Amino acid sequence: MQETELQTPRTALADRPARSDVASPAAMIVFESVTKVYEPDVTALANVSFVIDKGEFVFVVGPSGSGKSTVVRLLLKELEPTEGRIIVGGRDLGRLKRSKVPLLRRNLGCVFQDFKLLPNRTAAENVGYALRVQGESRPSVRRKVPEVLSLVGLAQKMNSYPHELSGGEQQRVSIARAFVNHPPLLVCDEPTGNLDPDTSVGIMQLLYRINRSGTTVLMVTHDREMVDKMRKRVIALEEGSLVRDERRGGYANE
Amino acid sequence: MRFRFLMSEALRSVRASFSTTIAATMTVLIGMFLVGLLIAFGTFARSWSNQTKGTLLDNVYFCTDVSCPGRGAATAKEINAVRIKLESNPLVKKNGVTFVSKEEALKRMRKRAPELVRNITSNPLPASEEVTPAKGEYVDEIDRSLHPLPAGVEKTTYGKKTASRILRIARVIETIFLIAIIVLLTASTLLIANTIRLSIFARRREIEVMKLVGASNWFVRGPFMVEGLICGLLGSIAAVILLLLGKEIALPSVLGHIDAGSGVSAIPFALNAMILLGIGLVLGAAGSGLTMRRFLRI
Repeated sequence: MQETELQTPRTALADRPARSDVASPAAMIVFESVTKVYEPDVTALANVSFVIDKGEFVFVVGPSGSGKSTVVRLLLKELEPTEGRIIVGGRDLGRLKRSKVPLLRRNLGCVFQDFKLLPNRTAAENVGYALRVQGESRPSVRRKVPEVLSLVGLAQKMNSYPHELSGGEQQRVSIARAFVNHPPLLVCDEPTGNLDPDTSVGIMQLLYRINRSGTTVLMVTHDREMVDKMRKRVIALEEGSLVRDERRGGYANE
Repeated sequence: MRFRFLMSEALRSVRASFSTTIAATMTVLIGMFLVGLLIAFGTFARSWSNQTKGTLLDNVYFCTDVSCPGRGAATAKEINAVRIKLESNPLVKKNGVTFVSKEEALKRMRKRAPELVRNITSNPLPASEEVTPAKGEYVDEIDRSLHPLPAGVEKTTYGKKTASRILRIARVIETIFLIAIIVLLTASTLLIANTIRLSIFARRREIEVMKLVGASNWFVRGPFMVEGLICGLLGSIAAVILLLLGKEIALPSVLGHIDAGSGVSAIPFALNAMILLGIGLVLGAAGSGLTMRRFLRI
């Protein structure tokens, strides 16, 4: 798909240059000694550092409570790190003003385990909302929404409400919503966590296709089988510490 | 954000949460009805007390040959001096000093008590100045400023007992009105804010999702505020209609028994209605805008 457009991050993400020592132009995500402590004394992440390049497909794995979801919430600037620096698409999140957070999120597709669809809107309206928030015009919304819904295989269900769709279909809607802006980065928080294995495979294929089009995909999961099959880069967390970072890894240490 | 989008989003959420919309509207209706009632009665009572206070006068009686034996009647010079002194007093109402001549006094007395003056041959009544204070409360102080009495003045009276009773009642009425309006406004603000908070709380997940897909605070808040505006508008319009019905139907049957005199009136109904609409709109919009702040911190 639009290889060239996705290779270069959108201007909104790149307007503040990061320090050159950490952010090589090829880096999409930089975690620099990130520590997150939930008050009063729960350490979710302890001194975690990694760099994810543009176009990579990365699994973040680990048992429950290992800090996986914290990584996602930090990337969305839903939380602030207690210590350390996070750079997304060349932009230092710590120096990002609160008023600019919506801009960050528009350039960063997000898929959640519980889909997070708006309940009283149809599939098309849910996807359209992500375009509307950035002031896109009606005609352009009407053009782009069917396009991306047929990309995820839901052309027939455009006008269905979330409760009329199966779990897999709802997750496809939420992927369509995350991808409709063609963001340079897609963050997925256990997207297959609520789905049966067959449906999960379909979702993974979809994410893989999106990654092939040039979008960086970071996927938090504990779907062992999936990780072992895909043989992509694996970042493993355990009790808040990074214990493994393998180029072509499996779920467990081999 | 486009106006059409704003309106369609607001109408969508009105439809989607119809029962909470009704609840919020009813709350505004009750609150605004009570506030409107209070404004009407309050301003009526205030107007009455002002009117009554306006009747308070300080009477300055000048000497006659009879009343001041030994020194004789007040001269024109003395009368003028008193007048100038009174008119330069800032507590006295502008042009509030009226001279009542002996003849005028007799004429008034004839009207009030004809039997009493039927058989008199000469005019025993003194000339006087009627002094209207700028505010009813000043009457006491004005009277004191004339003591010791200037030359040519026999005595001053201002109905001390009546005056203090009138002033006391007026003060009580004003205080009650003030307290009631504060209490009622606070109560209806809290009530409305609480209803709005419940409706927003019910939709906090929706707000969270909106924020996570990159909606700015105002993008999320706008439709909610328009929704609050709609509730506030509908509620206060309904309150105005109820008040109008009350004014046209219920009031005439009661009003026959109240004789407040001319010049006493509540503020015009149209003005009262405008105030209610204004308060309703502001409460609705600001209420939902402010309550949302908590849920927007995502």
